[in-house]
Amino acid sequence: MAVGSGQLRSALWSAEHHQQTAQEREDAVLSQPSNIPLLLSPDRDEDLAKLTEQRVPVFSHEIVPDYLRTKPDPEVEEQEKQLSVEAARIGPEVAQKQIQTLNKLCSNLLEKLNNPRDDRDSESAAIRQSKPSFNPADTNALVGAVAFGKGLSKCRPPGPVAPGHPGQGPMMSGGPTLQQVTIGGGSGQQAGMGGPVAPQQQGQPGKIPSSIKTNIKSASGSMHPYNR
Amino acid sequence: MEAPPVTSMPVTGGAVNMMEYLLQGSVLDQALESLLHRLRGLCDNMDPETFTDHELVYLLKGQQGNPFILRARRSLSHPTSPWHLRYLGQPEVGDKSRHALVRNCVDVAASHSLPEFLNEMGFRMDHEFTANGHIFRKGVMKIVVSKLSRILVPGNTENTERLSLSYLVELSGLAPAGQDTVSEDMRSFAEQLKPLVHLEKIDPSKQRH
Repeated sequence: MAVGSGQLRSALWSAEHHQQTAQEREDAVLSQPSNIPLLLSPDRDEDLAKLTEQRVPVFSHEIVPDYLRTKPDPEVEEQEKQLSVEAARIGPEVAQKQIQTLNKLCSNLLEKLNNPRDDRDSESAAIRQSKPSFNPADTNALVGAVAFGKGLSKCRPPGPVAPGHPGQGPMMSGGPTLQQVTIGGGSGQQAGMGGPVAPQQQGQPGKIPSSIKTNIKSASGSMHPYNR
Repeated sequence: MEAPPVTSMPVTGGAVNMMEYLLQGSVLDQALESLLHRLRGLCDNMDPETFTDHELVYLLKGQQGNPFILRARRSLSHPTSPWHLRYLGQPEVGDKSRHALVRNCVDVAASHSLPEFLNEMGFRMDHEFTANGHIFRKGVMKIVVSKLSRILVPGNTENTERLSLSYLVELSGLAPAGQDTVSEDMRSFAEQLKPLVHLEKIDPSKQRH
């Protein structure tokens, strides 16, 4: 009992006569809300720099709006004013009801998040299976269309297409009409480009050789006129 | 006209070979909105961009083997923009573990006389279609959600008919030959879009047969 009361008395005494350590004194100075700036100077203050761990080296006009701010930003103040007007407008009963709804929603959500239930997982998986978001057959169809035109109408005109119609946009002749084009590799000769290839009439699958022979030789490095 | 695998060819001056990494999938119309919301969240913050393009695919048939394919694309929503000509090579079959379709890709811009030029060169248009939809970007990757329509009257892009009730979703990335880092990024992005869309490597040659 004596020891206990002695301890209690010493605890009360130190609470009354608490001698602050140097660090606590410094902290108290900075955390007191009634700081009044007496002097702003653009000079670097070493003591301040050391105190704030180099975060505030200069107590100047630039740091005033950030560090000495007591009111919120103007935009925030405006929003807060609007919110308080709104709150005053709706009346206390409505506000209370809204608070209760919010609390209920939050607690429901928390419960759902904190308690993973197995039946919940299986039911969501079932829902996902019944509503598939893609169709593999469609994937294949689309990929085929993009890759080689499966399902897109190939342009094969029934009659001959004369070569003298350059201004009609893409010509609609069929695919295999270039049998008379010889594409040879470069072999040191000069590259010769023949005239435009005349598409042939495709009355039957057989190829009709035409009298127009074109020689399109691909230009390789060896055919460069400036041989190095 | 099979070119040797590009990644094994040395880079001999001129431009570096660019490879396109591609993953494709589709999404039904009713799920489009949720996909767009998810993409808007996942992708870089930019204004939602829609596009309307008209693509023409030109073939050059030589005497041997496969025809040479060039794709010419123009924007219907920006009619004065240049045409975009693209060559896509055969898919690289080297690495089975690679998650995306990899093929050589050459892109150039062209003037509005491109169709006549290609015809003069000997190309013939094989098919055309219009694509319109949304485009998103995440770093190097590009995500295109598009609705494809076939053109009923050749040359008339007003009169179109939808190919299917789904939108095509393509995730693509361009990287110089040899660099494979894009592939990993694409795979993790594709994971994030499941289960809405399954983006996978679809080999077009398997589709044909």
